[in-house]
Formats: sequence, C-alpha cells, structure tokens
Amino acid sequence: MPLTRDAPTFLAVMEANKGIIYKVANAYCRDPENRKDLIQEIVIQLWLGFPKYDEQFRITTWMYRIALNVSISFYRKENVREKINAPLRPDIMDLTEDIGTPEPDSDIGTLHRFIRELREFDRAIILLYLEENSQQEIAEILGITSTNVSTKISRIKEQLKQKFQALKS
Amino acid sequence: MEETELMALWKSYDRKLEQNLVLNRKNTEDITRMKIGSLLGSMKPVKLFTIIIGILWIAFVDTIIIATWSYASPFFLVSAIIQVLLTKAAIVVYAYQIILIYQTDISESLLKTQERIARLQSSTIQITRILFLQFPVWTTFYISDALIKNGGVTFYLIQGVVTAVLTFLAWWFFTNIKFENRDKNWFRLIFAGKEWEPTIHAMDLLGEIEGYKLVK
Repeated sequence: MPLTRDAPTFLAVMEANKGIIYKVANAYCRDPENRKDLIQEIVIQLWLGFPKYDEQFRITTWMYRIALNVSISFYRKENVREKINAPLRPDIMDLTEDIGTPEPDSDIGTLHRFIRELREFDRAIILLYLEENSQQEIAEILGITSTNVSTKISRIKEQLKQKFQALKS
Repeated sequence: MEETELMALWKSYDRKLEQNLVLNRKNTEDITRMKIGSLLGSMKPVKLFTIIIGILWIAFVDTIIIATWSYASPFFLVSAIIQVLLTKAAIVVYAYQIILIYQTDISESLLKTQERIARLQSSTIQITRILFLQFPVWTTFYISDALIKNGGVTFYLIQGVVTAVLTFLAWWFFTNIKFENRDKNWFRLIFAGKEWEPTIHAMDLLGEIEGYKLVK
C-alpha cells in the first residue's frame, strides 16, 4: 500500500525512526546546541523531501541518506538553512535522562569519540554497520558497491580495534 | 575490542537511547506547518551581500565607462572594461554555484550528493582565480596621455616593472590555484581563515571521495 504523504504519516515515520536522526546527528555534531540545530535541519529536509520519497527504497534508507547528507553538509557549515520564515523552538527531540553524551571515559563514550575521529564517509559506514544495516543497504545509502562496503568495514573495524588496544596498553 | 563486544556495546547504548528519546510532536508538527523560506531567504546574508556589492560595483564601473567613453584615456577604458568583465564573470559563476548547491537533491546517495556539493563548493576557488587575473589592470587604469608624454624614464621603468610583476603574479595564481595544489603551504596560506574553511573542507572531502572510488 502506498505511503500517504501527509503530516500525520510523516509524524508517525519520525516517531518510529527518531533514533536514526538522533544517532546520525550525534555522530557528526558533538556540541549539544549545534546538535539541536542539526536535528531540526534534518527534520526540515525530511519533511521537504517526504512528497518525493521513492518507495522502491526502504523508508530507513531514504532517512539515512537525508540525515547523513545534511549532517555532512552541516559539518561544513555551508548548506545550512540559516533563516527560516517561521521561528522554531529547536528542541525536536528530548532525552528523559542524559545518555546522549556518555561519560568520556566509559567504553561507549570512547567508542563515540573514536567514531567522531573517523573521516566523514568512514563514520557513516561504521554507524550504518553498528545499526545492523546489511552491506547491500549500506551500499545503497552511500552509492558504492557492496564489495567496497565490505572492504571499508573491515578496515574501519581494524582501526577501531587498534585504537581500543592502544588505549588499554 | 572484538567485533561482538563492539556490537553489544552499541546495542546497549541503542536500547537506552530508544527508552529515553522522546520526539517532541508539537515541534515536529510545527515544521510540517511552516512555510520554508525561498532560496533568497535561506541564503547566508554574507553571500547575498557579496553578490549585491558585486552588482553595485559592476553598475558603478559600467556607468563610469559609458559616461567617460568619449574623452577618457584608452588605458583607463581598457583597464576598466577588463576589470568589470572579470567581475561580471565571477559574479555569474558565484550565483550559479550557490543556486546549484541549494538545488542539490539530498535524498540521492551520499557519495553522489556530497561529490556534487563539494565540487561546487571547491569551485569557489575558480572565482578567486578569475579575480586574480585583474591584478595588472590596477596598475594601468590611471595612465593618461600626459603621463605617457611626460613620465620620463623613471616612470616607464617603475610602471613597467610593477605591471610585469603583477601580470606574472596574476598568471601564476591563475594557473596554480587548483585542487591538486590544495596541500601546498602557499595555498593554505592564501585560503586561510574562517570564510574559506568550507571550501577547503570540501576539497578534503573530495580527496576522501576519490579514495572511495579507487576501492573496487
């Protein structure tokens, strides 16, 4: 059944996949204030792109593409919508407890730091991999071959492993 | 850390996140109701300002050229025409790039979209190349018939050296300001500063994209 392109459906899609937006924004933007702006920008771009969403792709593939494209562009501080006609409160998402920025010394905090130290596309790949997307899905989101994805994942995992080892020793 | 530990660590974070993350429905609904600004409204003010200043400058120089056409020194007219033509070219390229960047479909794959945006951003460098070409005309626009007749050897010598040096510099910058030279010290020195950060970052990203294309 084709997806209705109205506001309630969009809200339902956002509700069901809010984690995608948050995790992508978190991987590309460390500063909590800028992250709020980034999340807002992602949601705006998702809404603008919703009528054109091509149902041959999974909704999550479409969301990842937009969220990652916006985040990478936002990171370059260039393609950001500076002025919006209607002023918005930027907090699109809230955390009931502060787990968004884990303790820097914890394992997950260290993993986040290592992920942020990766280059943009490598960061996207490892994020999609940790989110248990298949190699085919990752290939579709990035626009590269599955073989390329597989090679890259192995290299990035090795990099992360070495970093953790170096930290422990 | 082994792969299984890595995945388990991420999953535990993911579970916590899913339990605690709340979508603010009211604010998300606001987004679906708002009117998104036009391209002009969403552009960074500094970019609009640059284009407006450029257009005003072009109008100013064009007016002077037309008004002084019958009596101005040929050096002035030729210098002013070259300068204004280069500025017009730069403004057109600049505006065109901005429009293309904003029209990019961000639901396309990451590599395709980012390559397009990064290429457009890094091509801002091309505008600088064009503008460097105007160096020599800033050393010739003031030459009048009287100066030619009465300038003497000193004038010819200084004028000749200054124009030759700036012509060489203009040509050198025009031929050397390119993507391949982005890691050279002189390049990073010229394009240092906050306003160039996105462009330099775009160039670095293009390098990363090239790396991805090489892996088969």
